[in-house]
Amino acid sequence: MAFELQGVGLTHGNGFRALQRISIRLGRGERAAVIGPSGAGKTSLIRLLGVATRPSEGRLNILGRNPWQLPAGELRRLRARIGTIHQAPPIPPRLRVITAILAGRLGQWPAWKALLSLLYPVDIAGAQATLARFDLADRLFDRCDRLSGGQLQRIGIARVFYQEPDLILADEPVSALDPALADAALGELVAESERRGASLFASLHAVDLALKWFPRIVGLRAGEVAFDLPTAEVSNGLLHELYAAEGSVLPTQASAPAALRHGGATAEAMAESGDGTLAANVVRLDTCRGR
Amino acid sequence: MNARETRDPCSPRGAGDFCLSCVLTSGLLVAAVVASFAYLEIDFSALFAADSATAMARFAASFFPPDLAPDFLQKTAHGALQTFAVAMIGTLLAALAGLLLALPASGRHGIAAGRLSRFLLNLLRSVPELVWATLMVLAAGLGPFAGVLALALHTTGVLGRLFAEAIENAPPQPEQSLREAGSGGVNAFLYGTQPLVWPQCVAYGLYRLEMNIRMAAVLGFVGAGGLGQMLYYHLSIFQQAQAATVLIAMFVLVLAVDALSDRLRTRMARS
Repeated sequence: MAFELQGVGLTHGNGFRALQRISIRLGRGERAAVIGPSGAGKTSLIRLLGVATRPSEGRLNILGRNPWQLPAGELRRLRARIGTIHQAPPIPPRLRVITAILAGRLGQWPAWKALLSLLYPVDIAGAQATLARFDLADRLFDRCDRLSGGQLQRIGIARVFYQEPDLILADEPVSALDPALADAALGELVAESERRGASLFASLHAVDLALKWFPRIVGLRAGEVAFDLPTAEVSNGLLHELYAAEGSVLPTQASAPAALRHGGATAEAMAESGDGTLAANVVRLDTCRGR
Repeated sequence: MNARETRDPCSPRGAGDFCLSCVLTSGLLVAAVVASFAYLEIDFSALFAADSATAMARFAASFFPPDLAPDFLQKTAHGALQTFAVAMIGTLLAALAGLLLALPASGRHGIAAGRLSRFLLNLLRSVPELVWATLMVLAAGLGPFAGVLALALHTTGVLGRLFAEAIENAPPQPEQSLREAGSGGVNAFLYGTQPLVWPQCVAYGLYRLEMNIRMAAVLGFVGAGGLGQMLYYHLSIFQQAQAATVLIAMFVLVLAVDALSDRLRTRMARS
């Protein structure tokens, strides 16, 4: 078993209930995607599973351990077995690509090896092999601030591959990639999970990608599990109900992204206010910005 | 569109509006400046009087020509090297100690450790180099070692605070994500936060080195070796020609170090 949540809830310091009554179980080597409108609690859920935040209530079991009752050393060893791919890759811009990737194994390396690797990379071949799977092998010694957002996001995935965790968590792992690359990157994620028998739990914004690559879909809405079904049983009606608050169009790779829809809404509002005062105000606020 | 709407939308009031607190503040400032002049009895007319001008000219002329005898030049070069070394070692020690104190001072090791190290840094910083030098001459004896200690102590306070602020302002996600992947604290810092703050810290260190070169020259006056001690010695026995040589050496040393550190900093900013 990769993880098991029973009646888990999370209340933030400001009293906002991000998650409640969450009960999910993921078997070893199993793959599942979590989808839902923005603000549904997808990131909070991933952070709970990554032992980054502590649940306010409920029972949490990750890779057979209860992380919040472990002594510090055990907790570190458990965390080294969990790899989280973040939506915004948390990589310092001045770091070289190779160092950013090798950092994936800091949890397994003894301290002296990590120190040594800062002076001279200790596993060039390993990092290169990982990077080759993302067509980025030629960028191995570039600095990360020389890369595009999409390239950096793939470096973030490569770091977690290099870590070789038993449980791969991914928080919108392909949000900065164009459709073709996003598809390829998810394919690599699934292949990695199959190859090493690692469990994979990913939150995705694009519904079509989730349906294509994952055998099981968890729908999250307003901090609660709306459905948890094999992909074949996820109907169009269920999906539309899940995204009811975001309008009639499901967010997918192919359809227009959210930003475009917002743009349309603004244009409509401006057209509606006949005398043009609203339009004038919008322009004025924009000119004030940055002062 | 009426007149009210064409007004600048960014200022809540028009520029012509009366600002009481602005007028009061500037009035108080002017009063304080006038009072300071009156209190210190500064009399600029004495500065421009004819006899004081000739006295100053005579004093300035006595510095020329500087003493350029080879053995004195060698002595001066030795003094310059000593001043340079004092500034280098003092700054280097301060950077190391500053980094060690900056880690707890940035609040990474709990509130108590943070308060304590901040207090320590404030204490070190608030005592000027010259005072530290006087104390260190008493403790370590006359000579460059006292100068090194004095510079290191004061600069630790300054650099420690700057480093702590740099660490505090660095985004926490890179280090946090490494900890969440099981990394230990030291390595998470080295791979996550250190690359973010390193350029800034080196720039602070180089800037402080420039200041310490000038300071190391002055510290000689209280017996901490180097060019300052030579200058003090020759001035006190009215050997203006030798003093002039030492002053020129100081000038060259400061220029050289400024140029060097400027170059290093621009190169770092570019890469």
